[in-house]
Amino acid sequence: MSEIRERVRGLLATRLKLAKAADELGDEAPLFGPGGLGLDSIDALELVLGLEKEFGVVIEDRATAVQVLASIRTIAEFVEAQGKD
Amino acid sequence: MGHDPLSSLPHGLSFRFVDRILELTPGKRVVALKNVTLNDPNLQGHFPGNPLMPGVLLVEAMVQTAGLLLPEGSSAVLAQIKEARFRRPVVPGDQVRIEAERGGGLGMLHRFTVRAGVAGDPVAEAEVVLAITAPADGGS
Repeated sequence: MSEIRERVRGLLATRLKLAKAADELGDEAPLFGPGGLGLDSIDALELVLGLEKEFGVVIEDRATAVQVLASIRTIAEFVEAQGKD
Repeated sequence: MGHDPLSSLPHGLSFRFVDRILELTPGKRVVALKNVTLNDPNLQGHFPGNPLMPGVLLVEAMVQTAGLLLPEGSSAVLAQIKEARFRRPVVPGDQVRIEAERGGGLGMLHRFTVRAGVAGDPVAEAEVVLAITAPADGGS
């Protein structure tokens, strides 16, 4: 689980060019919205495509994306629930 | 000759940078042509005595090509250009072959990989995101 979280953190660093912020980002910190990392919908698309490439998991629609991409923890839980690595 | 998919582009002729569609798999992949001519008004000042298709207009042609893969009747705006590279100048007489492939999407956002080539040599490539601002049914 923590290994998945680190890989997700790596995705944030490389795909969104957030190396420093991703390093310091807590597992529970909100990625989107005010008070969070401030990512936007284009970042969300980048993450969705990155997660598909890295873990083989597919996020089909925006509603799922909003739930899954809330934090590093929620992303890691989604990846684990899909049973893929 | 049936419906012309090029007419699905909203651009007026003065800002149309796609001349012909060669192949179209709706929603997936499209190959189109842009012919570059010496009397193109955009080349008169770019540059006098040294006509060269502006890189931004090459990108526009690539974006319009990608736009052919959106649901017909929808309105969209450009949301992102990344990894854009220009490998060699495009000059009058060149026929630019532009190939766009949809690489996924989320909600109203659609990502495309677009490559442009002249006579088999790559001239430009980019990843672009188009955001649909009004769906095909007019949003009603």
